[in-house]
Amino acid sequence: MFKDFLRSIFLVDLAKGLWLTLKYTPQPAFTFQYPSERRQVAPRFRGVLRLQVEPATGAQTCIVCDQCAKACPDELISLGGHREAGLKIKVLDYFDFNLSRCSFCGLCSEVCPTKPVKALIMSEEYELGTYSREAQIMRVDEMYDGVPIEHYTH
Amino acid sequence: MGLIDHRFGDNIITTNLDSVLAWARKNSLWPMGFGLACCAIEMIAAGGSRFDIARFGSEVFRASPRQADLMIVAGTVTKKMAPVLRRLYDQMPEPKWVISMGSCSNAGGPFPTYSVLQGVDKVVPVDVYVSGCPPRPEALLYGIMRLQDKIQKENTTLRRERAIHLGGTEPILIEDRG
Repeated sequence: MFKDFLRSIFLVDLAKGLWLTLKYTPQPAFTFQYPSERRQVAPRFRGVLRLQVEPATGAQTCIVCDQCAKACPDELISLGGHREAGLKIKVLDYFDFNLSRCSFCGLCSEVCPTKPVKALIMSEEYELGTYSREAQIMRVDEMYDGVPIEHYTH
Repeated sequence: MGLIDHRFGDNIITTNLDSVLAWARKNSLWPMGFGLACCAIEMIAAGGSRFDIARFGSEVFRASPRQADLMIVAGTVTKKMAPVLRRLYDQMPEPKWVISMGSCSNAGGPFPTYSVLQGVDKVVPVDVYVSGCPPRPEALLYGIMRLQDKIQKENTTLRRERAIHLGGTEPILIEDRG
């Protein structure tokens, strides 16, 4: 009884709690400062779908085989092209990708048969935010790899 | 709505007041977590100490719509849930914003079925659509920053139109849907 009284007078329990807080204070902050520092994505991370070109020449690698459109479980890709005299592959006219429903499963880039440069890849871009639903349909000029998506990195 | 909302022309008081109001609003967005599916886990992760949504002034996840400014719809909205969602949105005080997080609430996701609402914008006006399945916590923070940009451009006292129109599509009332 008297012991309890002394404990409450000298604030022993409060000091215990504060000591625990103090013990954890000098540790470096666990928080990851997102817009200024960016986390390395995991290997085989599946971000937004992107079209690739030949890195050396910038030539089109997509052969307009329509396999990605067939593989897509939600039918989000539609593409088309035309033949030109003297060219072996079809020229890509349009490639519409409806991002709004995409579940980033990667089936489209898995079936892409072009070698050695894959025409369709799941890139490392994940910062996707739009103000309208119409803006979520990506057209061919926004689809090429390297076309910047707005970042908040300084 | 209020006494001063959209009543004045451009002058030094109203334009400055508007920018101060917008600054105050965008830096204290109290979200109402509307976690419905796996996106909710990422939303909770964004609220945790690693990503720390508090750096954007949104750490107070309110359980009551009366205290919230921002509704983060995270997950599949079923047609059974849609009237509840609309009701909670109506209970939020003005000004209010909505972030649609993930493919399911953006457009129904991989569920084009009878029981799933094909996009939360059929019930409430959406300000920012965050894509991903589920979006990473960083992607949600990116969405919040885009919303902050939008709020900064909104007018409160000025009669002028808003710089960016709210939502991509007009909301359709539940009674009007077929």
